[in-house]
Amino acid sequence: MKLPAAFRTSKGLIGTGLVIAILLVAVLAPMLIPADWATKMDMRARLSPPTLAHPLGTDQLGRDLLYRVLLGTQTSIFIAGAAVLMSIVIGLPLGLISGYAGGTTDNVLMRLVDTLLSFPALLLALTISAVLGPNLHNTVIAIGIAFTPFLARIIRGEALRVAQMPYVEAARTAGNSDSRLILRHILPNIMPAIIVQSTISLAFAILAEAGLSFLGLGTQPPDASWGLMIQASRDYLDRAPWTALVPGAAVALTVLGLNMFGDALRDALDPRSKGAS
Amino acid sequence: MSYILNRILSMLLTLFLISAITFAVTNILPGDVAMMIMGTQSNPEALAGLRETLGLNDPLLAQYGRWIGGMLTGDWGTSLVFKEPIAPLLIQKMTASGLIVLLSMTIALVCAVPLGVWAAVHPNRWQDTASSSAALLGVSLPDFFWGIMLILLFARALHWLPSSGFVDPREDLLLALRHALLPALALGLGLMAHLTRMTRATMTGILNQEFIRVARAKGLGEGTVVWRYGLANAVGPVMTVAGLQVGYLFGSIIVIESLFNYTGMGWLTYQGLLNRDIPLIQASVFVIAAVVMLANLLVDILYVLVDPRIRLS
Repeated sequence: MKLPAAFRTSKGLIGTGLVIAILLVAVLAPMLIPADWATKMDMRARLSPPTLAHPLGTDQLGRDLLYRVLLGTQTSIFIAGAAVLMSIVIGLPLGLISGYAGGTTDNVLMRLVDTLLSFPALLLALTISAVLGPNLHNTVIAIGIAFTPFLARIIRGEALRVAQMPYVEAARTAGNSDSRLILRHILPNIMPAIIVQSTISLAFAILAEAGLSFLGLGTQPPDASWGLMIQASRDYLDRAPWTALVPGAAVALTVLGLNMFGDALRDALDPRSKGAS
Repeated sequence: MSYILNRILSMLLTLFLISAITFAVTNILPGDVAMMIMGTQSNPEALAGLRETLGLNDPLLAQYGRWIGGMLTGDWGTSLVFKEPIAPLLIQKMTASGLIVLLSMTIALVCAVPLGVWAAVHPNRWQDTASSSAALLGVSLPDFFWGIMLILLFARALHWLPSSGFVDPREDLLLALRHALLPALALGLGLMAHLTRMTRATMTGILNQEFIRVARAKGLGEGTVVWRYGLANAVGPVMTVAGLQVGYLFGSIIVIESLFNYTGMGWLTYQGLLNRDIPLIQASVFVIAAVVMLANLLVDILYVLVDPRIRLS
């Protein structure tokens, strides 16, 4: 099988490679690396620069940054993935019904969605997390809810576009029920848009998790996430800038990979947007 | 005119919905304001008394009515952390945030538009690759990470700019700008990257259209074709995206102002969130959402004024 052209560009290849590599780390790291390697404190080597013993240096408690960043991958990816999944589970029916039904239903639902879009996503996520009490699961809920209006809006737009296509009209005339029209004829045709949007949302969710944790309103210790590592580095920037650079690079590589992969995916699935970015 | 009137009416409805959502989100809490004031170990009877005084035993709808009535008449309640009336506090902090938001928006637009056009004019050449790669990297890093890098470079290594604090522009404009520059840059870099990508995409689409070919065939200079014909048509879409990013900026100021200890609205909101200062959270979340909505309305109206095609249709 040949790769679609969009993935044979250097951007597509790098993006796909990065995404696969990061997913592998997220799945394999916790199986291969004993959990206590990331929490073992080496008091004689606190804030140590990269050495043979600690290839990426250590943090303020002498914990190895390489192991911490590798084991943190799963937390960050899990939170982002679960949050995006949650926003799809809520946003998909909302968007589908709104776009398909049109009229008053559409007006009411989209007015609500537009209002929610007035709240900056990060502010909404921070508020929900602060209100529920910050921990790993509430971080997922906070980001998931904050991202829902975006997905609902995009899915509604796509559903509206597809619902007006002649073949949907034909299927309706043939006597298909509303639910059958939505599930069999509309949903499969807006899947590409949903997949592309999810990839991009995943990148944003990684950034949001990092932001929440950085402010202390996301993942809490002892869970290790990238945002939490950057937060911990704040007081030691002068002496040990690598404590910020290592988790920062992990975030950057992941989001970069997801963005490049998302761009290639969009070019492959939606030829109209060819070369749009 | 009727379009603008329509928009303002629908804005009032949205404002009402914003207030309802803000109130609902902050009321799903397990604890309440009385508990926050007196602490979890307090005497149950005193707690019940305070709840009665604060009206926390009233139905939610009545509480909402009281809150929104206060918001509309300028009584925004008292902050539990700062022990001060919220309205003057918030308005004072809003000007501080306004400074860095405007500064970052200006920096982003001034850099992003030429960069995006430059990339679009040279598709798939090194100019495009360089500008697009930089933009991609820009959108891929959290803005607080840019903030940390800026502090390390400009404050710690070069000692050019202060790394934290806020100075009132009315006291010392130059010093105020020096304090605002790094937070504004940290906010603006991600935005700039995003707008560069948008400008490039929009311009690429426009430069491939017939009327551009016609303009070239007429023998117009490349500068006129790109800037006069091309960019004039890209202004609207780029402006819309920039307007939508105001929301993103008002989310980011929470992180950036906390990082730079810049005591604006984001910093204030963060103090509220950290200390579960419900009256402060309610007021600032409502105000931020209202500001974002107003900014978007303004962009919509500007768009109509700038683009005659919409005005006529």
